[in-house]
Amino acid sequence: MSSTHLNHPGSLRSLVTLLAVVSALVSTHATAADQPDNQPDKKTAVGKLVILPGEFTLQGSESFQRLLPGLVRNGRFTGTPTGKLEWSSSNPRVVTISDQTARPAGNGQATITVRHKTLSATAQVTVSHFAKQVAWDFRIHVQSVLTKSGCNGGACHGALAGKNGFKLSLRGYDPIADVRTITRQNRGRRVIPNDPGRSLLLTKPTGAVPHKGGVRFEEGSREYRVVSEWIAAGHPAPSDDGPRISRLEILPHDAILQPGSSQQLVVRAHFSDGHSEDVTRWAKFTSNNTTVADVDDTGATLPDGQAGQIGRVSVTGHGETAIVAWYLSRNVVASLSVPYANTLTGDTFDKAPRSNFIDDLVLDKLKGLSLPPSPQTGDAEFLRRATLDSLGVLPTPEEARAFLDDTATDRRARLIERLLARPEYVDYWTHKWSDLLLVSSSTLKPPSMKSYSKWIRDHVSDNTPWNEFARDLVTARGTTHTNGAANFFVLHRDPADMAETVSMAFLGMSIQCAKCHDHPLEKWTNDEFYGMANLFSRVRFKTAPEGGDGNQSIFTTTSGELIQPRTGKPQLPKPLDGQTIPFEALGDRRNHLANWLVSPQNPYFTRAIVNRVWANYLGTGIVEKVDDLRLTNPPSNELLLSRLSGFLVKNRYDLKSLIRLIMNSQTYQRTSRITPGNEEDRRFYARYYPRRLKAEVLLDAISAATGQPTAFKGYPAGTRSLQLPDSNIASRFLSTFGRPERVITCECERSDEPSMVQVLHIVNGNTLNDKLQSKTNRIGRWLASGMPDYRIVESIYLASLSRYPTNREMSETLKIFAGTPPEQKRELVEDVLWSVISTREFLFNH
Amino acid sequence: MLNITGQGTAHTCDGVSRRDFLQVGTLGAAGITLSELEQARAEGKTRPEGDRRSVIMIFNLGAPSQFETFDPKPESPAEIRGPFKPIPVAGGGFSICEILPGHAKHGDKFSIVRSCYHTAAAVHDTGHQMMQTGRLFTGGVNTPHAGCVAAYLQGRRSDLPSHVVLPEPMGSTGGNLPHGQDAGFLGKAHDPFVLMADPSKKNFRVPDLLPPKSIGEARLDRRRKLRQIVDSTVKDFEASENAKLLDSSFKAAFRIITSEKARAAFDLSKEPKKVRDRYGMTRFGQCCLMARRLVEAGVRCVTVNTFLTVFNEITWDIHGTKPFTSIEGMRDIVAPMYDQAYSALLEDLTQRGLLEDTLVCNLSEFGRTPRVNPAGGRDHWPQCWSVYFAGGGVQGGRVVGKSDPIGAYPAENPVGPGNVVATIYKSLGYELETELPGPSGRPFPLVDQGTEAIHELF
Repeated sequence: MSSTHLNHPGSLRSLVTLLAVVSALVSTHATAADQPDNQPDKKTAVGKLVILPGEFTLQGSESFQRLLPGLVRNGRFTGTPTGKLEWSSSNPRVVTISDQTARPAGNGQATITVRHKTLSATAQVTVSHFAKQVAWDFRIHVQSVLTKSGCNGGACHGALAGKNGFKLSLRGYDPIADVRTITRQNRGRRVIPNDPGRSLLLTKPTGAVPHKGGVRFEEGSREYRVVSEWIAAGHPAPSDDGPRISRLEILPHDAILQPGSSQQLVVRAHFSDGHSEDVTRWAKFTSNNTTVADVDDTGATLPDGQAGQIGRVSVTGHGETAIVAWYLSRNVVASLSVPYANTLTGDTFDKAPRSNFIDDLVLDKLKGLSLPPSPQTGDAEFLRRATLDSLGVLPTPEEARAFLDDTATDRRARLIERLLARPEYVDYWTHKWSDLLLVSSSTLKPPSMKSYSKWIRDHVSDNTPWNEFARDLVTARGTTHTNGAANFFVLHRDPADMAETVSMAFLGMSIQCAKCHDHPLEKWTNDEFYGMANLFSRVRFKTAPEGGDGNQSIFTTTSGELIQPRTGKPQLPKPLDGQTIPFEALGDRRNHLANWLVSPQNPYFTRAIVNRVWANYLGTGIVEKVDDLRLTNPPSNELLLSRLSGFLVKNRYDLKSLIRLIMNSQTYQRTSRITPGNEEDRRFYARYYPRRLKAEVLLDAISAATGQPTAFKGYPAGTRSLQLPDSNIASRFLSTFGRPERVITCECERSDEPSMVQVLHIVNGNTLNDKLQSKTNRIGRWLASGMPDYRIVESIYLASLSRYPTNREMSETLKIFAGTPPEQKRELVEDVLWSVISTREFLFNH
Repeated sequence: MLNITGQGTAHTCDGVSRRDFLQVGTLGAAGITLSELEQARAEGKTRPEGDRRSVIMIFNLGAPSQFETFDPKPESPAEIRGPFKPIPVAGGGFSICEILPGHAKHGDKFSIVRSCYHTAAAVHDTGHQMMQTGRLFTGGVNTPHAGCVAAYLQGRRSDLPSHVVLPEPMGSTGGNLPHGQDAGFLGKAHDPFVLMADPSKKNFRVPDLLPPKSIGEARLDRRRKLRQIVDSTVKDFEASENAKLLDSSFKAAFRIITSEKARAAFDLSKEPKKVRDRYGMTRFGQCCLMARRLVEAGVRCVTVNTFLTVFNEITWDIHGTKPFTSIEGMRDIVAPMYDQAYSALLEDLTQRGLLEDTLVCNLSEFGRTPRVNPAGGRDHWPQCWSVYFAGGGVQGGRVVGKSDPIGAYPAENPVGPGNVVATIYKSLGYELETELPGPSGRPFPLVDQGTEAIHELF
């Protein structure tokens, strides 16, 4: 039961309506069962009272608007006031209020007022076209009913093959075809204008005749009326100049709610003819994280007997979630925050150290959620973390000693500068982008694979701005042996595949759904997909005239279109939401795509790369997952993502400047240790999140710690796995630890999760054991040099963990040394090194 | 297996006393904590009375056609009934397609459900999720595989893991969605052990199950003690799921390494050649044989994936076009291999008296289109298909539910994925209202409220 919903709809409603007419005053009880309404609000907690929406129009006698009273504190909606609410209309001949819903009574303007204790709020309403005959529009009203009732869902008549001979477009993306299906097929039995009640379109969903899909709505419901009156009006098809949806609005769009509370949401649709409607009842609601809040999408009675209410949110936990409302192929998102149950003082945040705007924005978020930040990490841990995240290698024992001896206050900032200038930085980021761009000899001939890899490496080495990198790639031409970027097109020959790949790699989002139908979770339509894909329809391939193994030449022609299967015609070339170009336009269409792609006005491009770089350093994307940027999957900190994007644009897409900013922030330099109260944080950066080293980095780390490199067939001795250009190199270690095959353009192809199989390989497998036993490793050198035992232990810790052993670690280990005969010392040192390498501290970046 | 009395020896379920490496690791200087005690309990330290049930879940990835397997429609037009004929099964309970003669001989042992359906998108991945977990994954709630639920609720019954997946997890089937083959919200500590090898290969051995010869028992023990010294220094990983998982993986790995019985269960060379041949020297055949050995050795749930992907492999996914499979490919390659192994498994379990307590359920993600497509194949069809069950309390020779005359929709007793998974839980003796800790501790019943097992099977 919503705390503000009238709970006796029968007799009380008629009384209430009467009162509204007579005295223009309605009073309803807020029935928050668990919060007695005589509990006085604390003075500090009282905010401003508002009504949402604060201003609206009601057009025609059938219109209505659900009203949401709410308290606003510090500019944010904080829930519905508990206790008695008094509603009134300044002119009941214009608008009346019942069930917290405004309904028109005649044309004109009026003010709606709600009073709660000492507070009051108003909303302005304009009523027009009151006397006009109601005409239900198929595109807007009938389609809403069919969609919300599930008729055109993927499991029902929206399936590709329809159901029982009746096929509708999935979620109503093709209203013209749907009207034709409904009115022309099945010998007209679906609609009978002179007796609508006998139409199959009504007898089926009400269960009057057997219906496999069950009862979808009741006779006499608003759904029933909309469909029957549309049929009675001669089931008109939507006209070309009829109203279209232009904007969807959700109220409140941002709220702070308390655990255990509930909150009604309202969705308003704005149409191209200027009118708007309360469409809450026909919107489809989903929660991105049901462990924070759930939302009622069906209005069905709850298991405990409470009445359901479409669009009502129930808070189930702490943190943040987005509630997504879908209506007529549009999505709108409400962000909900539920603060953690920590009692913190302002000092917790005000006195927290800050280096740059990242810290300001992260601390603001933490403050809003009552999550205490963990303190700064120690130097040893920072050295290891920064080196692993930027270079993918462990600091050497010498580097560790030097850094730990450094007492200058700017030692961390100087370390960051040194790291960004190191050659291993190029290896690391080349490898990262090679994953994304699928460099592999399983799909490319070795010379092409090498030239592709070299192209990436050269750009990383030059620190090419990311926008230029992207432009060079998507407009690549020439032979695959000389211009490595051209291989991007060899891997994705099909224009549709290329459209998907470009979107995934550079916009961080999948548009694959739109290949067959309008994207159900995003705004992308089937038309837009084919407009995008058609930008690649003139790319051609031929064997390169100069020859060479698999050498191909990539060029473009001036003719050729991609046919959209649904229409049988090509779409005008158009980058997703960019401008169209005429079919006959001369020049390489890909330049048009590139201009749109890297334009600072394209929000997705910058956000996608910022998010990828951020996730590399912080372990969790601001949008998570990094390949799932979409309106309906909002960032955990919108302001942070947009400020970082602005920073990158201002710095001309210089990724090193972004990395420098991130690494110098206190947010990046926090310890991974828990501070009481932030245990549950996984998204807001209250601490650094430990994660297992990725396969290649881990293998290289084991090689470095043992001093025994891994041999890769066909590559010079000492080549690190992160330096391999190719993923198609057999390695049991790398595949066990989740190396991607480079088949799918998605960072999700890689797995960093530990498993028992991995542990078995560490314990019994030949990778680590062979390195420990090798006669040429560090251990042999240590023993040969006659190093004292404590020094050996110290070296093991520095080489593996970049820190000195603790006193306890040292003394307990030396005890075992003391009890070991000299001829078994080598084995003991191997075992000590094994024991350090097999710990979480080694296997994880933390 | 955790010996909390600290006597220095421990007893395995078969009563053999041996050095228990785990115990050394857990009873370190720190002593035993409450959570370790709870863990010992959760890990099934003792074997309660009546804890005898196991499950072998054979997952027919790719999705067999109901028409060419368990729901032939000889009366329907040619474009629906397809090219094959029905044959009656032993006991005369029903008829199945002629391409499964081995099944027909055991028709008195298994029962068919012909009215299975789901309502999610017709991509393989969603069906995998629902049929193995009982729910579609939405709102960040990934329901665990039934075998992982068993692992969570009852813990290990021997030194072997509770849930083993053979031969490998499901790979790509086009949707890029999770397949529901792990412990989901229960946490990775309850994930299955995955074999990652083909037991029909000549030199088959479980990867890394044994330490190298140069590392004897004493050194292995010393390594674990040393590791404890370092790992106890850093206790700040508690909030990382992956770090916790690594810890539990170490415990589980040492347990399996040090158990003779556990190692033997994976050793197919201990089987007579005749038995191995009876199952068929195919990957699937030898996985079925290993499933029997594992169940015998105390594993609660063995999931056998008949195939690993639908691309460029001859599977049940008979679209009729490349890179998928043709109806002939199914007849000539898939069905014989499958038929031989399944009939061998039923025979073997029966002869050893294991069938009574072992539920063998053969599931798939959806059915195929009633109409044969222009390529001579059949496409995805989640609206109606057949699954079947044997043993574990299920009576043989029955048909539950009915499809309509063209096999397009359930005509009687529609059965959803939740009902199928509830049936597994019923066989294992679990109350369906049992709650699992979902994300952020939110409780989830084993199956959605009101979902019942398929009682007609029992």
